Amino acid sequence: MIRGKIRGRWLAAAAALTSVTLLAAGCSGSGEGGEGGDNTSAPAAEGQATDRELVVWAGSQTPITPNFNPYNPAAVLHLANGGIYEPLFVYNKIADVPPTPMLGLEWEWNEEGTELTVKLREGVQWNDGEPFTAEDVVYSFTNETAKPPYLKDAVAKDDTTVVFSFDDPSFTNEFAMLGSTLIVPKHVFAEHEKDSGEDADGNALTGLVAWANAENPVGTGPYMVNTTSAAAYTAKANPNYWGGEPKVASLRYVGIDSNQSAEDLLTTGQIDWATMFVPDPDRITASGVYGYLNTPKDPTVLYTCANEDRGCEGEQTDVAVRQALNLAVDRGTINEKAFVGLAKTVSPTYALLGRDDKWIADGMPAEAPQAADPAAAAKVLEDAGYTKDADGFYGKDGKAVELTLASPDGWTDYNNAAKLIEEQAREAGLKVVATTISEAEYGDQRFSGKFELLVGGVVGTSIADPYQIYRDWFTGDFTQDVGTSLGSGEWNFSRYDNPEVNEAVKTASQTNDEAVKKEAYAVVQEHLVEDLPFIPLVVNATQTFYNQKDYTGWPTEEDPYAFPPAWENPSSGLVLGKIAGAGS
Amino acid sequence: MTFYLRRLAFYAITLWAAISLNFLIPRLLPGDPFTILLAKLQRSGGISPSVENSIRLLLGAVEDQTLWEQYVHYWGNLFRGDLGVSVTQFPTPVTELIAGALPWTIGLVGTATVISFVLGIGLGALAGWKRGTWVDSLIPSTTMMQSLPYFWVALLLIFLFSVTLGWFPIIGAYDVFKFDAPEWSWAFVGSVIYHAFLPALTIVISAVGGWLLGMRNMMVSTLSEDYITTAEAKGLRPRRIFMTYAVRNAAMPSLAGFGVSLGFVVAGSLVMEQVFTYPGVGKLMIQAVRNNDYALMQGVFLVITLAVLAALFIMDLIYGFIDPRTRSNNG
Amino acid sequence: MADRRTRFALNWSGKLIAGVVIVGAILLFALIGPFFTQDPRDSDNPALLPPGPGNPLGTSSLGYDILAQLAEGARGSLIVGITAGLIAVVLALFFGVVAGYLRGWTDEILSLVTGIMLVIPGLPLMIVIASYLPVRSLWVVALILGITAFAGPAVVLRSQARSLRVRDYVAAAQVAGEKTPRVILVEVLPNLLPLLAAQFLFAVLLAILGEAGLSYLGLGPNGSITWGTMLNDAQGGGALTRGAWWWFVPPGLMIALFGCGLSLINFAIDEVIDPKLRTAPAAAKRVRKARKAGLDKLGTSAGATEPAPSVSDPDRDDRSDDETTEEKERVEA
Repeated sequence: MIRGKIRGRWLAAAAALTSVTLLAAGCSGSGEGGEGGDNTSAPAAEGQATDRELVVWAGSQTPITPNFNPYNPAAVLHLANGGIYEPLFVYNKIADVPPTPMLGLEWEWNEEGTELTVKLREGVQWNDGEPFTAEDVVYSFTNETAKPPYLKDAVAKDDTTVVFSFDDPSFTNEFAMLGSTLIVPKHVFAEHEKDSGEDADGNALTGLVAWANAENPVGTGPYMVNTTSAAAYTAKANPNYWGGEPKVASLRYVGIDSNQSAEDLLTTGQIDWATMFVPDPDRITASGVYGYLNTPKDPTVLYTCANEDRGCEGEQTDVAVRQALNLAVDRGTINEKAFVGLAKTVSPTYALLGRDDKWIADGMPAEAPQAADPAAAAKVLEDAGYTKDADGFYGKDGKAVELTLASPDGWTDYNNAAKLIEEQAREAGLKVVATTISEAEYGDQRFSGKFELLVGGVVGTSIADPYQIYRDWFTGDFTQDVGTSLGSGEWNFSRYDNPEVNEAVKTASQTNDEAVKKEAYAVVQEHLVEDLPFIPLVVNATQTFYNQKDYTGWPTEEDPYAFPPAWENPSSGLVLGKIAGAGS
Repeated sequence: MTFYLRRLAFYAITLWAAISLNFLIPRLLPGDPFTILLAKLQRSGGISPSVENSIRLLLGAVEDQTLWEQYVHYWGNLFRGDLGVSVTQFPTPVTELIAGALPWTIGLVGTATVISFVLGIGLGALAGWKRGTWVDSLIPSTTMMQSLPYFWVALLLIFLFSVTLGWFPIIGAYDVFKFDAPEWSWAFVGSVIYHAFLPALTIVISAVGGWLLGMRNMMVSTLSEDYITTAEAKGLRPRRIFMTYAVRNAAMPSLAGFGVSLGFVVAGSLVMEQVFTYPGVGKLMIQAVRNNDYALMQGVFLVITLAVLAALFIMDLIYGFIDPRTRSNNG
Repeated sequence: MADRRTRFALNWSGKLIAGVVIVGAILLFALIGPFFTQDPRDSDNPALLPPGPGNPLGTSSLGYDILAQLAEGARGSLIVGITAGLIAVVLALFFGVVAGYLRGWTDEILSLVTGIMLVIPGLPLMIVIASYLPVRSLWVVALILGITAFAGPAVVLRSQARSLRVRDYVAAAQVAGEKTPRVILVEVLPNLLPLLAAQFLFAVLLAILGEAGLSYLGLGPNGSITWGTMLNDAQGGGALTRGAWWWFVPPGLMIALFGCGLSLINFAIDEVIDPKLRTAPAAAKRVRKARKAGLDKLGTSAGATEPAPSVSDPDRDDRSDDETTEEKERVEA
């Protein structure tokens, strides 16, 4: 007897796993000015040459479309960001050390911070044979697509010196200039400025973003593209690389659609370099083939829409509620259960503990409280005039506080944290309802401000200085009213707008003087710890696995010379230039 | 004749309605590609200013057409065979993406469906022929198989056979670690078959039960028909009765269902493709929906709808041909 | 009018008993299980404990007791399944029976809608509807599943209704002047009861499987626990690779068991709809036995007391049922 078999099979074939697309991206950051660079550490690889193909998973899913245009973040493949194109310097995100010189050798600021002079490396060649000059650097900063709004001009003083000039003191843009902008060849890119194509809606698209750069991309980096297909792309060593020909002859980047499959491939030893969330890393490192580095960098927090004046709605706009919630969460348990013990302690000052410690002001708590304190939370609420109702929840005027805490479907660590927080808040008398929403909805809510609580991340700074976080995530200039979507570069989801914080951040941007900055940061930290526009939870783990049996030269615990993830822009290029075969 | 005309009219209207719905549905989804992309990028590190600018340039097209104008524009593009450009796989045209994925889907899922059908019909016919014997007791175990959640079975099989025992590959339609691109060589073909085995097995396991049961029931009731009795009385060999009289009549309803199943093959098996990283059409759809990739979403919808309608139409033709009762009853 | 009651006599075969026991046991588990287990949302236990005293099925990565989740999940899945099944059947009744009985323009329009629903890819439709709603309760998910599942049964019911329409008793009722709604309700529907029951049970199973799939996509019910959400959590928490089989296997098994039970019951209902299914196997058995005993060689065996039985069963029911079988089995698009 035929019943609704047709629909049945169709329904039963509903699908999909967590899709964690890890696109490589650079991080804009701030930093100290001054002399920098160490002339000696060119990334020469030490070790044997090897023909064994290095298999990398950088987060690509299938189908892979060849696109090596660093100006198209949606489609560019990871190899381009570091392996093919390089910046002037590579900053080490996990240690407070001077950056590694790549195409740049040293730099110098003028006193006001309005002029930056960079000395370039000599003898560098593009992989098509053309010489690399200061003109290429100037082009990379002044072309229509890449020109930063704060840059006034870039001039090549001679073949190996470039001078950048700015209208305002720009010490805090040092990282963006030196560490994250990729240098592209003028003689290739200039020809594609008039390229046109169609964007997704069929509208005409012109300029460099329309060019796929899929054939033999020309860069200065250690590798060149060999073949591409829908399932994987390969690269071969650049024999004329300025750092010496890479010892690993070829690479293969594969596309994998689910984290589970990637983990399985790691377990069976078929991938050599991958960065992904693995709940039980010991199982993979047990055999000794794989080395492992866990480099937490990005705080995981609860975004709260905190500012009533800019349109936020809900009980979380009352600072007492946020403070109570902050005391009610049990970070130790959250780390242990939701993050499998792999996350690190977060600081409410957003300084990365272990790297930015010097910026934590005296008197400010270095660590957020790791255990829950429901009694203290209750006291905060009661002092603010809340009373407990029959169900045990606090409320005002007969109405219990009820907050929605949302996280994107499939982001299991966030989902689990939310579930635990719901339970922990209940202990303290706060009603929090944990729910999951689609990624699209999540993006929408954060950018428009129409939310109460969301589990989210803060992008950790790329240099040992929390300035970028303070400016982009907590100042009034980098936010919009609720209902207006945040623009590019604006990350202040909570709509927090405190004039003292705004002022302090502005002061810190004008100077390179550590003492002045510390004073300014103290003001910021005081307010952040008190007002809690975000409630910090943990610093999320970043787990990198690398094949140490067949290869050497990786960043390790003993020598963390670069931020190790396979998808990182641009430090993955630095790593690629340094690895070599290990005699086994 | 009127039978066919009526069916044609029905298909035309259904096609129009389906296409219009396909047009409307993506525009009803919340969120826009820009914020989704930003969220994803931020998850893994951060965005430099030049990148942010590019994103805006890429995706910030302003919609200044009314819905009706877009609708007309859409139909115009359809007739020209232009399905647009994908956002997630920029700048690949949607037609190219689908054309690349279709052979894999049809190949694997189509073959697996045919195998399930043949196997199910065969076993079901046997079970019906030998009704009342031990073969009948196979039935409960097949119903169990039919009720297993597909992804559960697939994940267990991968864990057992690919990871723990290492007998089968974990991902891909072919050995992505060895071949740089699909090529025409025996080694490649062998690799394809090797990689298709486990996915096909999971599909067959979850699908065979349905065909088996349906066929068995039809067999049992067909075998009690008078013409079977007549055939036996005439002294025909049991084998001939089995093949020529019983199976042919019993298989007819299943055939109709099979036609429709083939149509849905194009939708691919979404779970299978995700779990095995198999390059098919179903995966394109999931990717498109999750990233608000309108063009890709519409393109895949369209292809699936066309395939199902085509399959239904062909089945109608065949059925009307081989079973005259259908035509007269619909007159 | 033939006696309808004997037509619907259920044959209590082994399969039916097994099916009823399984379904009954699971229903019982869903109803009273949660009273005897821990709070499924209490993370106080250590994470990923294997089955042992205190946690008969171990714990999840957050410390939830699996057995408690299984019981609560049974409630969730069954609510979704049964509601979706009811919705699908009611809609199928409307689009199928009304269309089949009334014919003409009503039939054309209703069939058109059914056809379109059959053809539209169900999954994206579900995703759109689900994405629209930030809060999805069990009922909403059931509604979505029911709406996208009615088309198949509607087709079957429609062809059944069309054939029943020309029966004697229906004609008699019409001639007697009964109004159409009454004819449908009193004359047509009762004859469709076994078919409806079979469709309902099948729809329930499909809905439960569909909900598992939706939960997998993250579009399942927010905040509720079902077997589907359990599987999703287990998969996301890496249950298999961490060796926590007690988390991954039970929900899938429960779904399979429940489906198995439903299917077994469906077998019995099939036999009511098509009595040949019930009697034919037994008849075939008799023939085989007789052959073994040499009874088919007419009248030569000693001790033979029965006449040679024929393949077709003499005590079959009302022959007019046979025509409907053929029409039923034709799937109209």
